Amino acid sequence: MTRPKPPLNVLIVEDEALLAMDIEAMVEAAGHRVIGEASSFHDVIDLPKSLSPDLAFVDIQLAKGTNGLDVCRLIRSRWTDAFIVFVTANPKIIPDDYCGAHGVIPKPFSRNGLMAAMRYIEEGVCDPPPTTMQPASFIASPAFAASWA
Amino acid sequence: MRERDDWHLTDDIKHESGSGDPFAAAVRATRMSMVITNPTLPDNPIVFCNEAFQTLTGYTRDEIIGRNCRFLQGPDTDRATAREIRQAIEAGTDINVEILNYRKDGTTFWNALYLSPVRGEAGNIQFFFASQVDVTERVSERSLLAEQKAEVERQVEQRTADLQAAVEAKTLLLHEVDHRVKNNLTMIGALIRLQARTIGDPGISAKLEAMLERVDALATVHRRLYQSEDISQFDVGAFVENLVSDVVGASGRSEITIAADIERVEIPSANASSLGLVLNEVLTNAIKHGFANGHAGTLKIAVKCNGDNAQITIEDDGPGFDGPEPPAGGLGVTLIRRLSRQARVDVVWEHAAPGTRVRLSFPLEPQ
Repeated sequence: MTRPKPPLNVLIVEDEALLAMDIEAMVEAAGHRVIGEASSFHDVIDLPKSLSPDLAFVDIQLAKGTNGLDVCRLIRSRWTDAFIVFVTANPKIIPDDYCGAHGVIPKPFSRNGLMAAMRYIEEGVCDPPPTTMQPASFIASPAFAASWA
Repeated sequence: MRERDDWHLTDDIKHESGSGDPFAAAVRATRMSMVITNPTLPDNPIVFCNEAFQTLTGYTRDEIIGRNCRFLQGPDTDRATAREIRQAIEAGTDINVEILNYRKDGTTFWNALYLSPVRGEAGNIQFFFASQVDVTERVSERSLLAEQKAEVERQVEQRTADLQAAVEAKTLLLHEVDHRVKNNLTMIGALIRLQARTIGDPGISAKLEAMLERVDALATVHRRLYQSEDISQFDVGAFVENLVSDVVGASGRSEITIAADIERVEIPSANASSLGLVLNEVLTNAIKHGFANGHAGTLKIAVKCNGDNAQITIEDDGPGFDGPEPPAGGLGVTLIRRLSRQARVDVVWEHAAPGTRVRLSFPLEPQ
C-alpha cells in the first residue's frame, strides 16, 4: 500500500457539534486538514465518493439512532485505504476485531491526550512503527498494532 | 386342592373370629387388609378378602369377590405403578409399591401394597397373596413437605430474580450517570478549548490553558475510574503515568526525557480528584518552569510504596527556585496547598541542585 504523507485528510463523524468543532480545531492544530464532517450514518452515505480521507475519527453513538460501527464498515468499503479511529465514551461496546478499525480514543479526551494520540497515529499511519511511546489516550487495535511488529 | 377348599371353607364360617380354622380366623380378624386372588381363573379374580379390606375400600364382600384388583384404580392412579404390578404378576415375583387407590365412595387413599405369589409343591403359582396398608397420611406429609420445599424454592427464586432486577436497574442507572458525566466533562473541555483559541492575549490565553489542563486532569481521573475493575480504589501510579505521557506527549517536546519508576499505589477513589489535581499542578509546573524556553532535560517521576506510606516524587533539572519555598500567588500553588490538605497529602518542595524536587507523601489506608 502507499502510505499517506502529512498533512492527512481527516473525516470527523461526531453528532455533538461542540465536540466536532473541538476535534476539528485540534486536527488543524496538529497540522492536518479536515475534509468532511458527518453526524450520522446517513451523512456519511451522502459524502462524495471522491472525498478519499486518510483518517476518520468516528463516534459510536451517532445522530438519528445510527452507530459508528456501521459507519466503520461503510468507510472500509468505500475508501479502502482510510484509517479509522473510534472516539467514544463507551469503548467496551467495540468488538474484539474492532470491525476492522485501527484503534480507539476513549472519551472524555483531554487536549493533551488527543494531541498525543494524533501524533502517535500519524506515526503509525505515515511512517510505522511509531517511535514515541503509545499514549494512554489511544488504544491501537490488535491488528493495527500487529502490523508494526 | 384341599388347601384351596379350605379357603372356601373359611368363607363359609360365620364367626368373625375365634372359631373354625384358627389360621383362617386370624386372617379374617386381623386389622391388616388382605386379599387372595386366583391366577388360574380368567382375569385373576379376588377369591378372598378379609374384613379389614372391606373397611378400607368401603365395598361389601359381594362387590369384591370375582373382580380383578384393578377395580380399585382410578383416574389419578399412576399408570407406571399399575404396570409394575401387572408385570410382577406376569413374572410371578414379589412387589412392594405405593399406589393411589379409590374407595367405593370415590375418595382416594395411598395403598402400600405388598403382593407375592403362593406356589404349590410343583412350584406352580396357585394364588397371589396381597396385603394393603393405608399410608395416605405418610404420603401426604411427604408431599406436603415437598410442596413446602417447592414453595420455599419458588420464593427464593422470586426474591433472587427481584434482587437481580434491582441490581440491573442500578447498574443501568450508574451507566447512564457515568455516560452523562463523561459527556459533560468532554463538553466542558471542548468549550474551554474553543474559547481559548479565540483569545489573542497570551496572558489570558495561558490562564485558560491552565484551566483546561485542570479540567483535563479531572476527565482523566474519571476515565481511569470507570475503566478500572474496582471503582472504590484509584491507582495513583497508573494515573501519573497517564498524565505524564499525555502532557509531555502532546507538547511534542522530544528533548524532555522521562525517567519513570512507578509502582501501583491505590488510594480511596474519594480522594482521587483532589490528588489528581495536585499532581497535575506539580507536573505542569515542572514542565513550564523546569523546561522553559525549550530547555532540554530529564523529568524524573517516582511513585513508591513504603509499607503503609506512599511517596510520589517529581523532579526536574531546570533552573530551580529561589528561597525556601516557590513563590506563592498563583492559583496553582494555592490549589496544591488547599487540595493536598484535603487529600491529607504532605507536600515538600526541595532544591534538587539543579532543579526542583517535589515530594508528596501520604499514609496508605489499610486494605
